Amino acid sequence: MALSKYATEYDDIVKTMQMYIDAGRQGKSQVMRPAFHPGASFFGYVGENLAAGLPFLFDWIDKNGPAPDIQPRFVSVDVLESIAVVRLEVDGWSGAISGSGVRMSDIFTLLKTPEGWRIIQKAFHWHA
Amino acid sequence: MVTQEKNPGETLESWKQIAAHLNRSERTVRRWEAAEGLPVRRREHQKQDTVFAFSYEIDEWNRRRIRKQLRPAQITPELESPRSDQAPSGSGAGKSPVGNSYLAEHDAITRTIDLYIAGGRAGQGDLMRPAFHPEATIAGYCFGVEYSGSIEHLFRWINENGPAPKIEPRFARIEIFETIAIVHLEVQGWSGKLAGPNARISEVFTLLQRDGEWLITQKTFHWHQS
Repeated sequence: MALSKYATEYDDIVKTMQMYIDAGRQGKSQVMRPAFHPGASFFGYVGENLAAGLPFLFDWIDKNGPAPDIQPRFVSVDVLESIAVVRLEVDGWSGAISGSGVRMSDIFTLLKTPEGWRIIQKAFHWHA
Repeated sequence: MVTQEKNPGETLESWKQIAAHLNRSERTVRRWEAAEGLPVRRREHQKQDTVFAFSYEIDEWNRRRIRKQLRPAQITPELESPRSDQAPSGSGAGKSPVGNSYLAEHDAITRTIDLYIAGGRAGQGDLMRPAFHPEATIAGYCFGVEYSGSIEHLFRWINENGPAPKIEPRFARIEIFETIAIVHLEVQGWSGKLAGPNARISEVFTLLQRDGEWLITQKTFHWHQS
């Protein structure tokens, strides 16, 4: 992929991802909903329990409330034509559910739809 | 794997149900019990053939069976002996890959992806099914049509497509982050009724680890137009 094409795709992907980050920071799932594909999925273990399904994520974000100090870092943004993989490391999660200073490793996969890049899955590892 | 703590899930109440669950004849599953340790249980009262089985035990056994067929030389001890299942993953000593936790995880991931490849090659969705989480999904475009939804779409496509004996898969990337992983697979030479004579696909799998076992939670793909 030519560099200029990659740069364009990268910027669009990061814009989509920013909705996720902003929603987490504000504790408002409605801010991140447009970033997700309607058929998106969500997977990960919190301790022994499997957390799955997009409604779980949205509910968690709303109930957790604001996490004003989250520190997100893009570890990688890989674009394979119509699909993309984003590795995000987020430190400093706080809130009613998460407690303070929590770190999360995320893998997002995205699909390039006619409406733009949409998250099709978030898989996470919660650092206990 | 601490199977004792798992929810037993569905109970299969007869040879007929066990055979149907495995999609084999009753004769075959009886032979598997006698010769290969298929975990069939018997009720206390000694009436003939009052057997039952837990579907999760049958599924786990079946995964091991398929993996043995795929890579007879690379079976790790934990897959051969149910006893050593009790040990935490990565604690094995000695020269085997189990002694190195990265290698053990890497090998466990490639074993899972190999099931997918074997299913694709054979044109049999059921062969690859054990590689996937029950709630796994698929997403991508094929000839401009979006395929997204349950992984059952994939199994149906594989069955309909039929064998693809000349698939050439290459692991472009395997990255492991604790309990989650990404595999980027580049596949060329995919053939069949739906794929055409020689298709190329870029595939990204995300996987989730549980009890030392990696299951695919999503397959995303890009179908390269020739």
